[in-house]
Amino acid sequence: MSAQVVSISDLSFGPEKSPVLDQINLQLEAGHFMGIIGPNGAGKSTLLAAIAGLIQPSCGTVELFGKPLNQFSRHKLLKQVGFLNQLHEHEPHLPLRVRDVVAMGSAGYAAPLWKQSNNRAEIMAALEQVEMADLAERDFRHLSGGQRQRVRLARALVRQPRLLLLDEPSAALDSKRQDRLYALLRSLCSDQGMTIIMVEHDIAAITAYVDSVACLNRRIHHHAMQGEQIPDDIWHAMYGDHIHIVAHDAGCIGCAHPTEEAQ
Amino acid sequence: MEMLSQFFASHVMQESLAPALLISVVTASMSVMVLAHRLSFLTVGVSHASLAGLGLAVTLSLPLLPTATVTALLITLLLANIPKKQGITDDAGIGMLFAGSMALGVVLISTASRYEVDLFGLLFGNILTISSSEMQWLSLVGVLILGSMVVLARGWWSIAFDPTTAAAAGLPVPTMRMLLYGVTGLTVVMCVKLAGIVLTTGLLVLPAACAWFWGRSLAGLWSLSVIFSLTGTLAGLVISYQNDWPSGATVVMALCCIFIISWGAAWLKQRVQKHKEQE
Repeated sequence: MSAQVVSISDLSFGPEKSPVLDQINLQLEAGHFMGIIGPNGAGKSTLLAAIAGLIQPSCGTVELFGKPLNQFSRHKLLKQVGFLNQLHEHEPHLPLRVRDVVAMGSAGYAAPLWKQSNNRAEIMAALEQVEMADLAERDFRHLSGGQRQRVRLARALVRQPRLLLLDEPSAALDSKRQDRLYALLRSLCSDQGMTIIMVEHDIAAITAYVDSVACLNRRIHHHAMQGEQIPDDIWHAMYGDHIHIVAHDAGCIGCAHPTEEAQ
Repeated sequence: MEMLSQFFASHVMQESLAPALLISVVTASMSVMVLAHRLSFLTVGVSHASLAGLGLAVTLSLPLLPTATVTALLITLLLANIPKKQGITDDAGIGMLFAGSMALGVVLISTASRYEVDLFGLLFGNILTISSSEMQWLSLVGVLILGSMVVLARGWWSIAFDPTTAAAAGLPVPTMRMLLYGVTGLTVVMCVKLAGIVLTTGLLVLPAACAWFWGRSLAGLWSLSVIFSLTGTLAGLVISYQNDWPSGATVVMALCCIFIISWGAAWLKQRVQKHKEQE
């Protein structure tokens, strides 16, 4: 039996009358790759922040690797959890080489200047994974949006975490790069036993790669396993009535496209 | 050459050179963080607000620099704790405190007529009149600031790039920001002796701004910033000695010239690179 990596019980966040997250329950085992979908403002990024320990939930508990989150020393936790936030949440004007950005993900990066802060081999390995090793010395400011996103992903991977939390990692990537990214993430789960929770908007793009999809709109309306069709009423509960639902053959989870004519 | 040898032989310049270079190194180091965290307006606010500390020192017959240092530190920490959730933004808070503290300083200094106050020196700096006790105080504060940079620079750099991921990586972001504000406040007070309340921001922004065109890493930026700052300070002091100009203003003018040269050179380099790529 695989070890439990994430265990969330009755997690709520925000005001009692209109919580951002409401009674979330979720269990994930090692090597599981889960996608989270939901409309804007559904609480997807907030859920990732709660799992990363960045916000304090109003009630409920988060356990990582069988231990409550608040019992972890920050240092031990960060060694095991990788985090990639949304693309726009970084300062674009700082002069930095690509490898410096990746180094920021190393466990000892913020150490005093007299201490070794990173391992160059680890940094290059992470850049290899996202196919950016040849641009290691390039100025980060001069990269395209897609290249920046891949470098930021390398920063999340550099410590080889056991749990990876990704908020829209495919933003700014073209469809070919998106597929390669999802294939890389799939292999990290299958080959290295990494557990990944990934927020995405385009369910059609991820169905072939993920083990399950959680449909979130303040609460988890449905947690569909690979091969399972998401019922129509779940789509409507998340996105309202003006969506058109079509069958999708890639992973048989389901697919939704908001369309004008369906209104 | 003769002028240079006269400069180095001058007793006043010999005494002011060491503190000026110390201030130059310290402010250049912190200026990297000031630019990275977009704290330029904070330095304007704290430097002007430190007039309240100077006014307090004059009124209560307290030592000028230590009193100004403590006041600046308190004002900076107050700025760091402005209630942003209630809609008061950083710049509005700085604007209010800056005006209020400066008004208090002006009132205090104007009522303390029995003391002789070098208002021109306070506003525009006068490194030539530094006393040995002030030098000791500057050295102490300088060591504290450089020590903080050595210990915290990477963390501050990481927070400047992406505070959310820095927090996820285990950095205590609010505490480190508070420390950054505090150390910036201390640096501002150091600058006041050389450049005065009005020109302090020049010393805290220009060195890193000159380096920004060329540095590609924290270490590179830091080194270049110090080199530009030392060059500007030395050139400024020599020119001020030669022409009998105010030292602080001349140093800031020299740094402005270096910035324009650096900017022009970076623009030229970019043009040449583009030209080569087109070929």
